[in-house]
Amino acid sequence: MGISGPAHAAPESVDTALPVSKGDFVFREQFLYREARDDASPAARNLEVLGGISALGYGATSDLALFGVVRYLDKRLELADASGRRSVRRTRGIGDVRLFARHTILQRDRPGRTLRVAPFLGLELPTGDDDDGDRFGRLPATLQAGSGSWDPFGGLVATYQTLDFQLDAQVSYKANTEANGFRFGDEFGFDASLQYRLWPRELGSGVPGFLYGIIETNLLLQAKNEVGGTGDPDSGGTTLFLSPGLQYATRRWILGAVVQLPVVQDRNGAALDDDVIVRAGIRVNF
Amino acid sequence: MKHIARPAFALLIALWSVTSARAEGSSYRLEVDGLACPFCAYGVEKKLNALDGVERLETNIKEGAVIVTMKDGAELDEASARQAVKDAGFTLNGFKQESPGTGK
Repeated sequence: MGISGPAHAAPESVDTALPVSKGDFVFREQFLYREARDDASPAARNLEVLGGISALGYGATSDLALFGVVRYLDKRLELADASGRRSVRRTRGIGDVRLFARHTILQRDRPGRTLRVAPFLGLELPTGDDDDGDRFGRLPATLQAGSGSWDPFGGLVATYQTLDFQLDAQVSYKANTEANGFRFGDEFGFDASLQYRLWPRELGSGVPGFLYGIIETNLLLQAKNEVGGTGDPDSGGTTLFLSPGLQYATRRWILGAVVQLPVVQDRNGAALDDDVIVRAGIRVNF
Repeated sequence: MKHIARPAFALLIALWSVTSARAEGSSYRLEVDGLACPFCAYGVEKKLNALDGVERLETNIKEGAVIVTMKDGAELDEASARQAVKDAGFTLNGFKQESPGTGK
């Protein structure tokens, strides 16, 4: 679902290859709401996640941009025990920080359009709390704010932008390592976005704000988690999201929001299906 | 007295308008390739504004053009403009002086 870089003029759940000006910054704050309530297992789990994702991009050169991403997560899991009694397990806090670099390797500029291709490489650091607990004991690894592990990731993003529309596409891979006897399954992602200028219909002089209609798609393939080296049959799987949204872009800021709807979910065993993810945020450059 | 008051007043207004008009430097039209969204325009404008002698900018995103007006007596060289646009992440594809400036 995108490595959540701040991106320049960019989609909401997908990254972009558009530049960050040399010596300048782009800051993004995105709010996230995730709901997963459709659980057929006896535990009848309901998961709710509220998050704030803060990302800062810096143009080291016109080709090389450096990014840091910090997430604040409030995870709440309601479930039933063997007797049917329901309880809530919850954690709140800063998650794992992501640092990565993106370098443009292809740039084709023409009047009113551009094509960019940029690989990116980064590391997710174990800065989040991975040892939180409650009266029932230590929270499961999937509910912790942090993973406790150093996880590299990388990929390639391409952007084709004209005055009328923008296409972004990204492939990414995250290799999760072990911590506390637990290893999250590796993740492969393919994300694509189309932003189409709805308004103004005709461009005049100056630099007006652009209202874009957005449609994005996110394919996420997750391998099974491992507990003590053994795969967890109730984890991992494939999810495909279709995400409509809107975005308003000006010179200095962009407001945008998407609703991610799972259209295909092939989760292993009793792994929890997503119901919806909502993302809304603002980007500013300075 | 009434017959000369109005013309005199009009003459004063005209003289004030002429003398208060600022002398402008040269203006240049820069064609910037790759510029296709408002958020991207800010980066280009910020880099060009940082050049010595720049008085003001007018960006026309539809035409992919930035009109740079310099302060009186200042000139813009193409190499500096090209580097500024490059640092913003775009490509300068045209550089033309549109007017030499009004001066005094």
